[in-house]
Amino acid sequence: MIELTSLRKEFDDLVAVENLTLSIPSGEIYGLIGPNGAGKTTTIRMICGLLEPTQGRVRVAGIDVLGEPERARQYIGYLSDFFSVYEDLKVWEYLDYFAHAYKMPESEIPERVSTVIAQAGLEVKRDGMIRGLSRGMKQRLGIARAMIHRPKVLVLDEPASGLDPKARIELRNLLRSARDEGATILISSHILTELEGFCTSIGIMEKGRLIRSGRLEEVMLEGTPTRTVHLQWLGEGRAHIQAGLGNLATVSELKLNGNEGEFFFSGSDDELSQALADLITSGVRVLSFREVKQTVEEMYMKLSSHEVM
Amino acid sequence: MIPIWKNPEFIRHLRAELRTTRALTVAGVVVVIAVLIWLGCWGSRASEMALMRNQAAHLHFTAERLAEMERQSPIVVWFDFYRILMFAQLGILTFWSLFSCAQSISGERERKTWDFQRATRLSPGELLAGKLLGEPLLAYFIILCCLPIALLAGLLGQAGLGNVATGYLLIISGALFIGLAGMWLSNLFESRSRGVGLIGTFGIYLLFGFVSGARDSNFPGIAAFSPLAGFMPLFERQEFSLGKPAIFGSMVPWVVMSLLLYITFGTWLVLMLLRTLTKDYEQMRPLSRWQAVGCAAFLNFTLYALFVPRSLTDWDSFAKYMVAINGLILFAMGLAMLTSPEKLRVWWRTHSETRWSIFAEDGPQWPWLALSAAVGYGLLLWGLFAWKNTLGFESRALKVGLLEFAVVLIYITRDIAFIQWCRLTRMRAPVLKGILFVGLYYVAAIVLSVVGSVYSETQGRYFYSVLTPVGVFEPGPPNLHFPVAVFVGMGIQLGLIVLLEIAIMARLRPAIGRAIPH
Repeated sequence: MIELTSLRKEFDDLVAVENLTLSIPSGEIYGLIGPNGAGKTTTIRMICGLLEPTQGRVRVAGIDVLGEPERARQYIGYLSDFFSVYEDLKVWEYLDYFAHAYKMPESEIPERVSTVIAQAGLEVKRDGMIRGLSRGMKQRLGIARAMIHRPKVLVLDEPASGLDPKARIELRNLLRSARDEGATILISSHILTELEGFCTSIGIMEKGRLIRSGRLEEVMLEGTPTRTVHLQWLGEGRAHIQAGLGNLATVSELKLNGNEGEFFFSGSDDELSQALADLITSGVRVLSFREVKQTVEEMYMKLSSHEVM
Repeated sequence: MIPIWKNPEFIRHLRAELRTTRALTVAGVVVVIAVLIWLGCWGSRASEMALMRNQAAHLHFTAERLAEMERQSPIVVWFDFYRILMFAQLGILTFWSLFSCAQSISGERERKTWDFQRATRLSPGELLAGKLLGEPLLAYFIILCCLPIALLAGLLGQAGLGNVATGYLLIISGALFIGLAGMWLSNLFESRSRGVGLIGTFGIYLLFGFVSGARDSNFPGIAAFSPLAGFMPLFERQEFSLGKPAIFGSMVPWVVMSLLLYITFGTWLVLMLLRTLTKDYEQMRPLSRWQAVGCAAFLNFTLYALFVPRSLTDWDSFAKYMVAINGLILFAMGLAMLTSPEKLRVWWRTHSETRWSIFAEDGPQWPWLALSAAVGYGLLLWGLFAWKNTLGFESRALKVGLLEFAVVLIYITRDIAFIQWCRLTRMRAPVLKGILFVGLYYVAAIVLSVVGSVYSETQGRYFYSVLTPVGVFEPGPPNLHFPVAVFVGMGIQLGLIVLLEIAIMARLRPAIGRAIPH
């Protein structure tokens, strides 16, 4: 759905995006992560046709964004990181304006405006002036605007920055409804927890380059080839654990402290299950034995630390 | 292209600015003000008549004449009322159009809403039309409210329907043109340079008003840029009566002249806006290379068409005047052709791959400035031939004109190369600062010449001939004997151009940095 080929963008004597090649299939929710200045916004602006690449090609839904900008815009919904809305319009007027500006069929507009207002949870504010909306409501209105013309691709640049937790949950729900409508979503953020449990694929940008990209679980695994396992037990069992786990080739960095401990495990699920069974057989009264899931933030720190010079 | 009444941008303004309460209030205020103006006119005429009755004997007014004046009084009152209404509408609509359009795009950039408009499927033409008519919508509504009152007043004041129609034609066309000029300015300025943009807007408005003073110049038609030129004769006041402008020596009415200028110059403004409106700010370039050459030719052609020999009565002074004006035209075209650092770098990396790359769209400006100067020189010769019966003609005009053009071209090329170099630095608002530095250079050169002339006039002349192109315009070049200083100056400036080109190339080295903070 989104194809970037050898994309490069220069500003003055700096390269903001360098040789970026990326393909995002239809239906994905792709999270683009990286620190401020990594080139995320520049990439997003080039995808939306707002910034001309110095070199390379951008295709959205098979259309060359530079070659046929007006046709490509039909398929793209865009929300920037810092934005404002026309405060002197009513909520429905604002969405109606953009529906017409995207040249939707006249007959579909009223119903579409109502649907999107409902999805954004702004029914009670439909006839209210935008200047009376809260920050979270304006953010939802912004996303509703980006969704108004049923774009195949929704491009959101830091959509949750500055929102309180409740507004973030509402925002997430709104994005889910966009996904349910079949939109491919590209979402950038430097707040990594924002993307966790939501994105299906992820890309990490550093200094203008895409250093990792792929399905979330693959990238997570790439970031940590070993799993961290935490265990707790009752009574005496320390010596058995030391003997049982310490001798396994798949276990490393075994640390025991009181009645709990942690180790890295590089084997398969079967091997991990067998290790647990052996512990129980040897008489250890295991209270808990669980894999510690790595957060996107931890994965990002691990991956990026290899690349950051 | 969406019709204007369905244009979403126009409808947005309509919804935002003309809500029922506001529309009713504005209409009410218009009626109240109109009534107050009419009462003022009636009161003024009543006191005038009372004064005349009291001083009838002293003024030698007969009873019949007084009675006639009394009968004419209502007509005079309505005509005065009509005149004030028309001037007020002209002032309101042109002022409002200019200032609202001059903030339209920079305002959107500042509010961070511009990208959303650019990301829609509205074409640059649709955005332009929606903003041009939408931004000053309230002022257009005021004009609409005034229209029936002005029509009634015009008819009762015996101004005639044609007079009213002509007046409105000038008001609307003038407002559209000045609105376009404002939007063009707004598009050129970033949100952070908005203050400079506003100063420029004031400048345009003053120019728009004062340009009517050009009616006594050698190019009287230029006065028609101001709708006042066509507007004043509509009201039959002696002090406002003007001679008519001429196109190739044939007299045309002021209204026709104004409309011709608005349409032709408006077309160039529209072209520049359509090229740049949805572009990223850094990538904006108002004219392509060929369009810049065309624009230089158009401006020259227009000046020759509008020329009426008054103070310029011989070929030499005419040629010098036109070369000096071409200096300004070339400078403006040079600015319109400035290339963004990014595009220039790409050109630099790939220029050896293309034949004739020196003439490439993203390459240096000087080949195109030279071409524009060549076109200007050709048109100068054509102008001299066309006016040879009035201005006279000598064959040395060809050589004199050529040398004058060459000198001006060299100085303008140097200035544009300097501003292009400024664009390659990390300077904020580099073009504006570049222009200011160039201005500072000329001021310094003049001061140096004045200081030099304190010791001896020759020294003063030497300085300004070496440092500025003024030396070449010194009167009377018999047999091309220009002061040596002019040629020394040309040599120095050519050297500077080479140095600037080297400095530009040095800055076009491959980009080495990575990633910038946003």
